Amino acid sequence: MSLFLQRTFDSLANGSAYAALAVAISMVFRSTGILNLAQGQLAMFSTYIALVLATGPSPYMKFSSNTDLIGAAWPVWAAILGAVAISMVIGAFTERVIIRPISADPVAAVGATLGVYLLLGAFVRKQWGGRTMFLGSPFPQTVEDRWDIGGARLWHDSVGITLTMIAVLGLLAVLQRRTKAGLAFRAVTSNRTGSLLVGIRVSRVLMLGWALAAGIGALAGGLIAGEINVRPDMMGRLLVFGLAAATLGGLRSPVLAFVGGYLFAFLETMLGGYVSFVDSQVTLVWALLVLIIVLFVRPSGLMPRTEAWQQR
Amino acid sequence: MTAQGSQTSSVKRAAWIIVSTAFIAVCLRVAFFATPKIVTDLSNVVALSLAFAGLVVLTHYLGLLSLGQGAFVGVGAYAALHVVNDFGAPVLWMPLAGLLAGTLVGAVVAIPSLRLPKAYLALLTLSLAVAYPIILRQVDGNLPVTLNGGFVAPSWTGIAENDEHIWEFFLVAAYASVTLFFVQGLLRGPIGRAFIASRDQPEAARAFGIPVYRLRLYGVALSGGMAGLAGGLLMIPTNFNDYTHFPEELSIKMFALAMAFGGSRLISAIPGAIILIFLPVWLIDRNWVVEYGWVGLVKSEGFIYAALLLATAYITKGKGFMHLFERRQPKSKMQPSNRQVTSVVRGLSDLEEQLVQLEGLVGDRPDIRSRQETKD
Repeated sequence: MSLFLQRTFDSLANGSAYAALAVAISMVFRSTGILNLAQGQLAMFSTYIALVLATGPSPYMKFSSNTDLIGAAWPVWAAILGAVAISMVIGAFTERVIIRPISADPVAAVGATLGVYLLLGAFVRKQWGGRTMFLGSPFPQTVEDRWDIGGARLWHDSVGITLTMIAVLGLLAVLQRRTKAGLAFRAVTSNRTGSLLVGIRVSRVLMLGWALAAGIGALAGGLIAGEINVRPDMMGRLLVFGLAAATLGGLRSPVLAFVGGYLFAFLETMLGGYVSFVDSQVTLVWALLVLIIVLFVRPSGLMPRTEAWQQR
Repeated sequence: MTAQGSQTSSVKRAAWIIVSTAFIAVCLRVAFFATPKIVTDLSNVVALSLAFAGLVVLTHYLGLLSLGQGAFVGVGAYAALHVVNDFGAPVLWMPLAGLLAGTLVGAVVAIPSLRLPKAYLALLTLSLAVAYPIILRQVDGNLPVTLNGGFVAPSWTGIAENDEHIWEFFLVAAYASVTLFFVQGLLRGPIGRAFIASRDQPEAARAFGIPVYRLRLYGVALSGGMAGLAGGLLMIPTNFNDYTHFPEELSIKMFALAMAFGGSRLISAIPGAIILIFLPVWLIDRNWVVEYGWVGLVKSEGFIYAALLLATAYITKGKGFMHLFERRQPKSKMQPSNRQVTSVVRGLSDLEEQLVQLEGLVGDRPDIRSRQETKD
């Protein structure tokens, strides 16, 4: 029982990252109908920004003239918040400059998101190389920072990451339900033409959606960096789990995508822990198989069937 | 056919024969006189052209997105290699195992994802592209698997035993030509037209009795099969396979090139294959890969592909650069704001006109009416 509990606790941090990426993907898809494949790379890029903010000018910097502006090193939490703010600007900029002019054609728009994916990857590799770097966690991370519950160890940073992500989703829900901007966002996702007719500035709302998605991705990247370290391919695996989790929510429900993120992390940890021939790498394959089976059996994911079939 | 039309057609046929003959002559010249390295690279180009052609069918004919074409190629390579090593199949037939495996995996991916919005196919194929190297590493291990067998040219070819790369090139070219010829024929016929109808006007296509879901399923399976065949053909000059051969970046690069250079003709797949094989060689030859800073970024492969994708999205609206050179249909005087609604309205008004004509015809012919009444 204690082993099962331990594995459940172990899945919390990864689940938070998958859930955050899934929510970000769902938000963009729901509002624009575009699958943002650059979401993972945007999060990875933001983590590097957090790293620069946290460590100050580094000997690895190749574009040294730009990094002098940053000055002294910031605490990790401040660096992550700074990276979130910068990422939101980058997300809004991406929507305004790259996506909006071609948003009418989904194929071109998906191609453009892949262009951003490749561009960010190339930039990071040329700027910082392919080496692994360490950012650290904003939460206590020493061996003593844990609670012992039922013979299992619950680490403070896992709880911190999980609670932060739940708080962010709660804030997002409040933003959507209680503010004018949120009302406009819900109106645009529900009926874009209708929203235009009643005077909502759809383009600004969409830009806000992209900015929020980029911010959530950046937060996920910054928080999980303490667990998996910073490297150019850090988000590849997370993106696949994020996409799979978003699929469980029918690509349209951030709440179900969030639940899907934790569900996939739980599944990943349990398969890796209890099935002898599944190692940590191969859990990705099992997640893929589960995704295919879910699409076979219940194409709408966790969403009510009627709503999903209306998308066809 | 008018005399002018017949003349144009014969001129076209003659031009086609001349170009084909010149192309075959160039291929023969290159195969026999170029260095083995170049011939092997060209074999890879020809093999990968098939995978690109499959992607062109998917993106430009069906309007679907596959981000896992590299993984389909990998599946074909794996199947081709193991059908020889584990089951003792003749090496000449091994690309067909790749074709079969690619088709099967394509169908398995397509069946669940095509029931949902188009984004799901992109999502699932991207997941496959990420998962494939991990699966292969688990199944085959870290070390490369080598093909048990070789390709010795028959004596009637006159190719020396040391020049097996020439024979391998001809084998790959023969497989690829036959496949491209067959698929091009398929696309020129009713199936190709149905593909385009299901891409542009799926609702209208359904109304005309075209099974859109099944057609898309066939399209994805065909595309997967072509990629699988390409994987099988790649094993002819390469002779070994490991998990690093088909990473997820390969799939994304292939998608970028297919989007940029794809068009309504399968021949547009060739530039993509050439760039995919020769761009890294070109960058390494110029020592560009070791440069850093802004200049290094601009000279990097990732930046070049990103620029290509963004340029394709902006300049051609995702239709590809070949589209700019293709013959345009004359623009109609009416520029409808909603093509789908307009086509339905036009169809209904045509139907109404025909009904009126038919009524008039029946009204003018009392004998038809009286015969009908007698029958009733």
